[in-house]
Amino acid sequence: MKRYKVFCLLLILLCWMLAGCSPDLVEIDEEVYALVLGADISANNKIKITLQYPSYKGSGGGGSGSKSSGGGGGGSREEIGVYEGNIITTVEASSILEGINLLNTAVSRQISLTHCKLLVFSEELAKQGVEDYLAPMMRYRDMRRIMHVIVCKGKAESFIKENINTIGESESKAIELMATQSLNNGLFPRMTFIDFYRNMLSPYEQPLTAYAGINDFSKLSSGDEETASPLKIPEGYLPSEVPRKGAARRELAGTAIFNGPKMIGVLDSFETRCMLIIKNQFKRGIVTIEDRKAPGKVIPLDVRLGRKPVIKGYFENGVPIIDVRVNIEADLGAIQSRVNYERLSLVEALNGQIKEFFEAGLRQTIDKTQRLNCDVFGFGEYIAGNFSTIQELEAYNWKKHYKDAKVNVTVEANVRRTGLMFGSKPLKSSQ
Amino acid sequence: MMKEDNFGTKEAVSLATLAIITKVFYTSPFVIVNSLGTAAWYGTLVSCIVSLLVFLLLYQLMKRFPGDDLQAVFMKVLGKVLGRIVTVLFSVYLLYYAGMNLREFLEIIKAYILPYTPPSYIMITFLSVVALFAFLGLEVLARFSYLGLWIVLITMGLLLTFGSTYYNANYIKPYLGYGIDKTIIYGVLRSAAYQEFILLAFIMGSLQGLKNFKRAGIGSILLSGGVISISLLLYLMMFQYTVGSENLSGLFQISRSIYLSRFFQRVEAIFLFIWVISSVVTVAIAFYISISIYCKALNIGDHRPLILPFSFLTFLVAFFPKNLTETVEFHMLFIRQYSSFVVYGIPVLVLVLSLILGRKRVESRNEKV
Repeated sequence: MKRYKVFCLLLILLCWMLAGCSPDLVEIDEEVYALVLGADISANNKIKITLQYPSYKGSGGGGSGSKSSGGGGGGSREEIGVYEGNIITTVEASSILEGINLLNTAVSRQISLTHCKLLVFSEELAKQGVEDYLAPMMRYRDMRRIMHVIVCKGKAESFIKENINTIGESESKAIELMATQSLNNGLFPRMTFIDFYRNMLSPYEQPLTAYAGINDFSKLSSGDEETASPLKIPEGYLPSEVPRKGAARRELAGTAIFNGPKMIGVLDSFETRCMLIIKNQFKRGIVTIEDRKAPGKVIPLDVRLGRKPVIKGYFENGVPIIDVRVNIEADLGAIQSRVNYERLSLVEALNGQIKEFFEAGLRQTIDKTQRLNCDVFGFGEYIAGNFSTIQELEAYNWKKHYKDAKVNVTVEANVRRTGLMFGSKPLKSSQ
Repeated sequence: MMKEDNFGTKEAVSLATLAIITKVFYTSPFVIVNSLGTAAWYGTLVSCIVSLLVFLLLYQLMKRFPGDDLQAVFMKVLGKVLGRIVTVLFSVYLLYYAGMNLREFLEIIKAYILPYTPPSYIMITFLSVVALFAFLGLEVLARFSYLGLWIVLITMGLLLTFGSTYYNANYIKPYLGYGIDKTIIYGVLRSAAYQEFILLAFIMGSLQGLKNFKRAGIGSILLSGGVISISLLLYLMMFQYTVGSENLSGLFQISRSIYLSRFFQRVEAIFLFIWVISSVVTVAIAFYISISIYCKALNIGDHRPLILPFSFLTFLVAFFPKNLTETVEFHMLFIRQYSSFVVYGIPVLVLVLSLILGRKRVESRNEKV
């Protein structure tokens, strides 16, 4: 009987302990979970950060962007940072963590970064160097290293204000899905903080992030112009330049590339695809090439990697040589000219054209990064095998010698499938 | 004298293996990667091989005294007074080992999970379980270890598999790390990281014979070597040697980084289970054997009255280090790198002495030496 009593006592004790009766106990509604953290150059202090967190009032609860007066002593809702069910606040402080503490002077709930999905650096800040921002993000327990990192044109604060979810209720879901859109189009890289930071320290490769911006919809032609609809191939865009209208103003296109902690250049969306192909991170995307048999007409291809690119790195007379062999597979998306490329006699010619197209693209991208002396492909991983020890590798300093490397690119292309058709009959008209 | 129940080879292997591999959850990965760089994953195999050789020497010693525990061997070879002193020395060391492992557990759990919870709260909770194991006896602990090892290995396997989206085999280049000479020297020094097999010699009575002792020792060292090596290899393949030497807890960081899909992420809570299971077993076995050999050395019949005082001592020892830095750079460095001079040195010295003095157990009714 005594044993049972002790057992019951222990159970009661456990209930008390397991319920989290410790200073770490936090009720879920005592915190507010920041989704986006932006960093800008500050005029008054070391840093300027912007946080986006939900108002927990539903997507329309924040006033749907209305500028009607309300709350905060009579200012407009945007003045107090309420945008489409989100609250966006900015603070200047000596450090990120201090800044978040400061924000708690005005926010009724403890701001938590445990669910932060996106880290946004302004381009200006990225060019000056982001090292001061990395320290707390790697060390502080709240920060998740799986959050995504981007660099935006203009101010991070302005970008976050335009980070409006147009589909569905969940902002956090929208941010995660937006970042993973890279897997569907390859127009920007998907870069998590853990990869970004690792590459900054890496002796093998340089860091990169997705490049973002705000589109003012001015690139889209009005439709009134009298033009001959010129064909523009390959299509390489930077953020703010995609000719579109509608949906959110913020967009991701291209890559911001870094030398250590400083941003030194950009790759447009086409060059980004080429880079992702070499890095084996290109999942799929629609690539359009011009139809050689019918100039002015195009053939959109659903492109993917046939297999992992084969990369070899070695030295020849002291010069680093990189051999890259890429295997690309494509499915025909359309043939505007209705030429029967499905036929054996024509498909090889099409394969050859795709091969030339990508070889030129890859070459152009590699040349650009070599001019910037910025190995974003990770070729250093293959060169590292030529050194026995870390001391030798670090003494050689691959990142310094990348510009001297001779990079050979070979592409194999294969049109695997032809969509739901196998041949196109000519269109008939009275003319 | 104390009565210790019997258990089989599998339980013994589990007990020693869990105690050895626990350190891979703590600060060990970053310490090894910091010293060996890309060679860390096979540097630990050097430690494993050295430990295996020491175990074979220990086996030779135990073979000369079949049926005796290590502390009985000390008495027979070194004489009763010196034997007792050495045994108590081991008891004190194991108490220190238990306390420091508890402290390391505390430091990591405070760093990642419970930053504001008072240390004493966590330690008392943890020590209550350890004391309970000591109260229930070695057999219960051994059987729990057998169950625990499966859980730990399967969960570790799953976590390391989930992390595969980040692995890059090129990150283990250059293959020789900071140099083969440094790898071998450090590997030999670091062999103390596998020292827990020594504990098996203190519980020979429960192992039912030398054959089981040999199997358990070799099995646990090889299994631990494999697990630690694979863990370090995958850790390097994820973080490179650069970031790999920064993370406080390597495997915990892998579990925090897992992102398979929007739905499948943030799985580190699973990691906590295996982390606690193996930590409890590690501290409990050291704690139990510390009390056990102390009782045997001083002819105390029942170990149970000593559980509370030893718990209190372990609690005190865990408070020795002022901070994490002292824990890692002094105490854990001593335990995992330099304690081999004591833990391996003494049994080997006793073997040499027994060979020189020609002492071994005489198979007679009087057990005359």
